[in-house]
Amino acid sequence: MKPTLTSSPRRRFLRDLGLSAAVLPFLGGLPSLQAAPRKRSAQRIVFVFTPNGTVPNEFWPETAGTEFQLKSILEPLAAYRNQMLILKGLCNRVRGDGDGHMRGMSCLLTGIELLPGNIQGGSDTPAGWASGPSIDQELKTFLQGRPETRTRFGSLELGVGVPHRADPWTRWTYAASNQPVAPLSDPYEVFEKIFGQVKDRENLGSVLDQVRSDLQRVSQKLGREERAILERNATLVREMEREISEAGRQKLRVAAPVLEPGIGNENDTIPQVSRMQADLLVNAFANDMTRVASLQYTNSVGQARMRWLGIDDGHHALSHDPDLNTGSQEKLVKINRWFAGEIAALAQKLAATPDPDGNGSLLDHTTILWTNELGKGNSHSHDNIPFVMVGGGLGFGTGLCLHLDKTPHNRLWLSIAQGFGHDLKTFGNPTLCSAGPLPLG
Amino acid sequence: MRRFHWISLIVAGLTLAACAGRRGGNEGSVAHSTPSTRSGNTIYREDCARCHGPQGEGVAGQYDETLYGEQSMTSLARYIHRTMPDDRKEKTSEADARAVAEFIHGAFYSPQARARNTPARIEFSRLTQRRYRESVADLLSGFAETRQTERSGGLQAEYFQSKGMNKKDKSALQRIDPIVRFDFGTNSPTPDITADQFSIAWSGSVLAPESGEYQFRVTTPNGARLYVNTDLAAGDSNRRDDSDAKREEALVDLWVSSGGVERQGSGTLYLLGGRSYPLRLDYFKFKEKTAAVRLEWKPPHGPWTGIPSSVLSPDGSSATPIIGTAFPAEDSSLGYERGHSISKEWWRTITRAGTETSELVAERIRRLAGLPADLTNRTELSRRMQDFCSQLAERAFRRPLDTELRHRTVDLWFQPGVALEDSVKRSVLAVMTSPRFLYPESEGRQDSHTAAARLALVLWDSLPDETLRKAANRGEVSTPDQIRAQARRMIQNPRAKAKLRGFFDHWLDAEAADDIAKDPKSYPGFDAEMVQDLRTSLNHFVDSVVWSDASDYRQLLLSDELYLNAPLHRYYGVESLGNTNRGSSGGATNALDDAFVPVRFNPEQRAGVLTHPFLLSAHSYYRSSSPIHRGVFLTRKVLGRFLKPPPMAIEFMDDRFDPSLTMREKVTQLTEKPQCMACHATINPLGFSLEQFDAAGRFRLEDTRKPVNATSEYQTADGKTLTLRGPRDLARHAAESPDARRGFVRQLFQHTVQQAPDAYGAGSLQKLDLAFEHSGCNVRQLLVEIAVHTATLDPKNPSRK
Repeated sequence: MKPTLTSSPRRRFLRDLGLSAAVLPFLGGLPSLQAAPRKRSAQRIVFVFTPNGTVPNEFWPETAGTEFQLKSILEPLAAYRNQMLILKGLCNRVRGDGDGHMRGMSCLLTGIELLPGNIQGGSDTPAGWASGPSIDQELKTFLQGRPETRTRFGSLELGVGVPHRADPWTRWTYAASNQPVAPLSDPYEVFEKIFGQVKDRENLGSVLDQVRSDLQRVSQKLGREERAILERNATLVREMEREISEAGRQKLRVAAPVLEPGIGNENDTIPQVSRMQADLLVNAFANDMTRVASLQYTNSVGQARMRWLGIDDGHHALSHDPDLNTGSQEKLVKINRWFAGEIAALAQKLAATPDPDGNGSLLDHTTILWTNELGKGNSHSHDNIPFVMVGGGLGFGTGLCLHLDKTPHNRLWLSIAQGFGHDLKTFGNPTLCSAGPLPLG
Repeated sequence: MRRFHWISLIVAGLTLAACAGRRGGNEGSVAHSTPSTRSGNTIYREDCARCHGPQGEGVAGQYDETLYGEQSMTSLARYIHRTMPDDRKEKTSEADARAVAEFIHGAFYSPQARARNTPARIEFSRLTQRRYRESVADLLSGFAETRQTERSGGLQAEYFQSKGMNKKDKSALQRIDPIVRFDFGTNSPTPDITADQFSIAWSGSVLAPESGEYQFRVTTPNGARLYVNTDLAAGDSNRRDDSDAKREEALVDLWVSSGGVERQGSGTLYLLGGRSYPLRLDYFKFKEKTAAVRLEWKPPHGPWTGIPSSVLSPDGSSATPIIGTAFPAEDSSLGYERGHSISKEWWRTITRAGTETSELVAERIRRLAGLPADLTNRTELSRRMQDFCSQLAERAFRRPLDTELRHRTVDLWFQPGVALEDSVKRSVLAVMTSPRFLYPESEGRQDSHTAAARLALVLWDSLPDETLRKAANRGEVSTPDQIRAQARRMIQNPRAKAKLRGFFDHWLDAEAADDIAKDPKSYPGFDAEMVQDLRTSLNHFVDSVVWSDASDYRQLLLSDELYLNAPLHRYYGVESLGNTNRGSSGGATNALDDAFVPVRFNPEQRAGVLTHPFLLSAHSYYRSSSPIHRGVFLTRKVLGRFLKPPPMAIEFMDDRFDPSLTMREKVTQLTEKPQCMACHATINPLGFSLEQFDAAGRFRLEDTRKPVNATSEYQTADGKTLTLRGPRDLARHAAESPDARRGFVRQLFQHTVQQAPDAYGAGSLQKLDLAFEHSGCNVRQLLVEIAVHTATLDPKNPSRK
């Protein structure tokens, strides 16, 4: 049983999806049903965020090119070494208001300055939201604008352990300037969003038979005119039963995942929630409900206490400890290895799911892009921010580690947009885009 | 050429619309240049009855369907003219068709005629939208006392000095702020606080005056979050909190500011009238150049405006779960809402609303069922959820469940292999779509539970509360005394107040008057805010009468007071005789602009609702008064007389008249034809008696530079002629007329019971009217007696009392 006692996100979805206005109550809005296969496979991308910088010595391969060796943190991804593209040397060059964490987070996918505002970090000036859209939302708008790439949701924003508060440290995707998009951190809520209509239909379908027999029982006690009214009601029940059974014959391409019930949304359930969100995400891709997604682990300055790894300290506090504190460094390596393991699990699920268009696996046509708001926690550096891609479909080289030289990360977003056929010349702050997209092919 | 389109000004329910001109003109109008030589009755008898039967009931072998329908008289006449008689070549002339159409329309064809002819019986009804929503809200809040908060007049405010972006430093000031509309500029709100950073928390409750969608809006260049109808969680505080504490979702979240630029956010909620909802606004300033914050709302009929202090309270209240599913409009063709139509759209709505209710319950199941957070054993969880669902079903069905019904409604859905959440949802959905919930009379018998159910519907539009349920379980809602004692208790509840408010909105046409606008050239200052103030003023007045000790219906007609706030006083207060000494309605906020206070007027000029500017302006044109609209309202609603729908369409076009004529002269000219005067002989004199009020309801002595003549001869229903010299004479007549009083009793009965009075036994109306008269026309007592009367009736044997 879902233990939350909070307000109803479900009803928000009802309105968002226009379900209440649909002609048939539970049928609308599922374009993934019975879609015809395409010749060319769909391209997909999921942006993954983990916080507080990495441990550079245990993260970056020593050599560039194809002969690189994975270090400790990336080892869990060894099985996907040949589907990997590691980019060293990308820097978040966006300046302006806000502390390093805020800019690291809110300028990461947007590549543009924060607006002046009232949110004060531990240093620097106060700031507000980012002043432009993020690359995932840009891609969504592009793909939703064309019938052949349009999907039911366009994008999904998922979270794992993201606190329920909105500020520049907890939001990294933006629909537009001043418009952050909140991730869904509760897998049951995500399930409702994706499969709620199907569930409602099932529940209603199971109840109607009983309603009809109740109408009959009640009728027996009443007079002729009353019975006529109840008979009219029973006719409407029968009509609806028929519609529901017709709708029930439409099947999802891939059945909804079965979620383990009763998983709370708290620090200690992060591992379970992480896998549930991955299941839901892969299912949404397989049913072609979206082509773009983001998956946000905690938040910038995130304080996850990874007790499941034997670590009681908060992640952010550890990330401030000096390099010489080997105990803390070991814990940080463990933490980042755990994140890499979650990426590997996601990759594994994608690899195990056939591409709906019949060409290989989902992973062959999906790019997982894993990044961070900082290069290194204790220096709050925006240089050498981790950018690791796993998967394929965008035409980039794989089995490759590139060493770039202090390159603004805006240029990577141009490359990704071009990979999707979206010919962006600049994204975010245009002065950081002058050299054009990165050559990744 | 500027036309006055009646249609846009006519309030719903006035069938005068047919007379006032269908602008499309496709109804056409039947020429009546050659008047018919035979009466409609005679024509019918001679030419029609052989096939249709003497009362339109049909003749076997000829035409055996009953003549019954919803077509207008005009189209019926056209149809007859073209096609009847069916068995002869020569068709009825236009004039004869008109005459016969008029006859059958009035005699048996129209819904009104049919309702009149069919011996009244209780219509088997489903819950109407209002009853459904109220029932669900009470079902899910477990009848937690929706006390209307005691104090009104503003929100509790606490001002803090802060340090380091809204980390509380010290509480600097606590007070009640009547309205949240502050512009601190570059200054601080109080001397104890520095201007660079501070925060304010406003909390309390907001009372929704009527049911409907409310929009809330916050405007600020700083940080703010607004919560309405939300029970706040631990992390929801007006304090910097970077932790991951659980939080409720704010209705409006403007926490992060943007370059010190003013931003606006809004959210919409459906609220049930007469209830208080928790409200909290958290606000902070951090280093932005200026500080300001404004809290506004848009109530169902009104414009955007600051939330008035009269509906704000510093006292807290708890959240009410309310379903948001939109319902189709209810049939009110007989002048009151009834739940008799069973349509496909209605059934879809019921399944959607049931699904939404099941979600609401599933989300709250632990709290609703009182399950401890550490209870995880499935068997035990299941058992306790089943018990809860069973209680819910008992409340919704308004009687205990027997074993078999409990099994089918609850236990059946809790099967191994089905998630408990789905089991709860299915059980609740089964309850919400069951005829036992949807049709309150589905038991078809009279016992304490039936009586309790009827009391709750008539007085609250809802389900029996715990007290009533317990009494019913003991069989103690049975004798008239027991029932009366319960009704007297129940009328004290805010739900009854909300219900009566709904009736008066209906009686006074206020629920439908959405779009009262006046020509700004002739009526400068009469804007949407003023209309909203007038609506509030009318509500204050009606409440002050109905909820006074005497609760005397006649005071609604006779009082010489108007409730005015400062803007209304400036507009209408010229002739006032000063404030009365009974204090203000706005609590401790006498000095405030938006507080409404009772103001006395010359009794020859103002008389209760009859001369309330809201009604006078609602029943007026864009530029001029409308004696016809006013007259129809007075005839039907106030004097309780029946008016036939107008026989033909005539549009009032101001520019067709000599501009030097007064409105009275124009109307007299327009309606001078004999067929018009059948009704206008009643309508016009009543309307003329209010001609001393312009289209905005201001007192005037001249119209078109001529003195207003407000004197007229009026024929009462029993044929007496009265000379009415203006509003006071009219009010005196209305207050003394037994017909008017009985009309009021009938309308209150129909609105609250949603049935015709005579369905509850012939003479029901007379009996209730007599009791009303003896009580000194006590409105609250009348509602109690109506509830008692309907609750003591056996539906199978209406005569047994």
